[in-house]
Amino acid sequence: MKTLDEVRPAIMSLDAIPAIPAIVKPLAAMLQLPIEKVDVDQVVDLVSYDSSVTAQCLRMANSPLFGRRNVETVRSAILTLGLQRVQAILMGCCLNRIVPAEKWAFDPAIFWRHSLGCALVSRKLATLIAYPEPEKAYLAGLLHDLGVLVNTLACTEDYRKCIAAAREERLPLEVMEQKRLGFTHCQSGKVLAEHWRFSDDIVGVIEFHHHVDHTASDPALVFLVHLSDLLCRLRDLGHGYYEAMGVDLARDQAWLSLLKHCPELANLDLARLTLDIDGAMDEIIALVDVVFRPASAAAH
Amino acid sequence: METAAAKSVTAPASEDLKDPAYLKIRDLIYEISGIYQPEEKLYLLASRCSRRMAAVNAKSPSEYLSHLTTRANREAEMRLLVNEITIGETYMFRSPAQLEALRNVILPQLIKSKTAMGFKRLRLWSAGCSTGEEPYTLAMFLLEESARLLAGFTFDILATDINDNSLAAAKAGIYGEYALRSTSELLRKKYFKPHDEKRLQVSDQLKSLIRFDRVNLNDDSKMLFLKGLDLIFCCNVLIYFDLNSKRRVMQHFFANLLSGGYLFLGHAESLYQVDDRFRLVHFPGAIGYWKAPPNYGGQNTP
Repeated sequence: MKTLDEVRPAIMSLDAIPAIPAIVKPLAAMLQLPIEKVDVDQVVDLVSYDSSVTAQCLRMANSPLFGRRNVETVRSAILTLGLQRVQAILMGCCLNRIVPAEKWAFDPAIFWRHSLGCALVSRKLATLIAYPEPEKAYLAGLLHDLGVLVNTLACTEDYRKCIAAAREERLPLEVMEQKRLGFTHCQSGKVLAEHWRFSDDIVGVIEFHHHVDHTASDPALVFLVHLSDLLCRLRDLGHGYYEAMGVDLARDQAWLSLLKHCPELANLDLARLTLDIDGAMDEIIALVDVVFRPASAAAH
Repeated sequence: METAAAKSVTAPASEDLKDPAYLKIRDLIYEISGIYQPEEKLYLLASRCSRRMAAVNAKSPSEYLSHLTTRANREAEMRLLVNEITIGETYMFRSPAQLEALRNVILPQLIKSKTAMGFKRLRLWSAGCSTGEEPYTLAMFLLEESARLLAGFTFDILATDINDNSLAAAKAGIYGEYALRSTSELLRKKYFKPHDEKRLQVSDQLKSLIRFDRVNLNDDSKMLFLKGLDLIFCCNVLIYFDLNSKRRVMQHFFANLLSGGYLFLGHAESLYQVDDRFRLVHFPGAIGYWKAPPNYGGQNTP
């Protein structure tokens, strides 16, 4: 068993992995700018930097989940989807390439379905509670489990066993990580996110989405992603195994905290929300199969 | 719902699906019956509507909407549409996620609290059991768990319906391929005997665990006498009740359940704005309504 400090150098050296597109760092920097300061041409350049990233972005932009059709150029994708959404999609496409196919402890499609599902639900919840930046909620949902990728890369064999044990005991992943690795994907994800200079708000989500009692720079964002993560895991968009849990969402700490700022939340029909997630499932699965499979399957 | 989709005969053109009238029909069904169809699955709803539209000779979804909202026979038409939606819904092991929630979360909870009280007995009620698929599924499930999880426990299942024909069929326990589509070969061998060329009949062992009775859920006098239940299953039954009757049935269910017990509804049904005493609890793939012990404040069920 390694400690987080022992794993830290391995996390820092992730930059050296040739598969990491050179665009992650400039992209992370750009994601922190106020939207009016982002240069559209620079985003077009980043998306066009790598032809397979371009293709993945366009496929995603054309998905019915994003409500658009017939987007043929990078520029029109950016104009129709909005800069922030394209940046988030781009980041997802980049991250997909950091884990070589043989290292995955589980089907990468399962990871991306969870991440994409969480992104979509976070954005939906953000809109419902009038959170000012729904696209940021989307990005946070997409990136919240960055640490799972880190653990996969830094502790490949141990992590395989850890996930197998979580599956066997039907326990949440972070509980088994703490038990078997000595640290969780929240902690290891934070190390990489800070190293790549993600914004404080996104780092906060990565670090605290399972610990909502801690104070993050944008607590509402952490609460949103925490709830979306739970909802996805409860509707077959989790980590690919059955977690033995019964959750009273309306009494979840994150829910109660959001409720203080947004009393209308009390009227939200939670049963209906979960059925809506089921409704989006087919498209999420199809999209992940198209967008995220080629890069990971190519190495097989 | 997927099952009936496979059987649907008329697939409406994708253009028709964009008709906002379908969303209005969807919301109306939800308001009246509690059955919800997400937007992505509107094609299912549209195919059910198309049969009713043909029957009443409505030329467009919005014309059909008027049959459901403003015409004199709107209540009867809504009932016919809801029938279309729930048709062919019943077969054994139809809700595996509910059974997984029982196996992994609920039964361990109940067993713990009952063992502590020294009262090793479980009582289940299938309210609106129709032709018996649900109570027999529960009986098989409990028997399969009786060696391990439920060792030392006894259980009985009450199965009720208002319809005498359904009850007679349930008591006879003779099922064809459709009802058995999700029942494994192993369970078929264990709990059924051959009836005729195409059908099987449930074993006497299964029957002995279930008490069938005719109960009208609207009949307060009868509802008051059903006590001490751990689990109530009431799938696609409340859809036929108006809001006030639903609320009354929920009052009874809440009183019928022991503290710590659960109510399960049909997969796409919700109690939103019908009842606020039950706690909505999410399990992977299933939603249950929990009667929390008095003053229980915790977030997760114990």
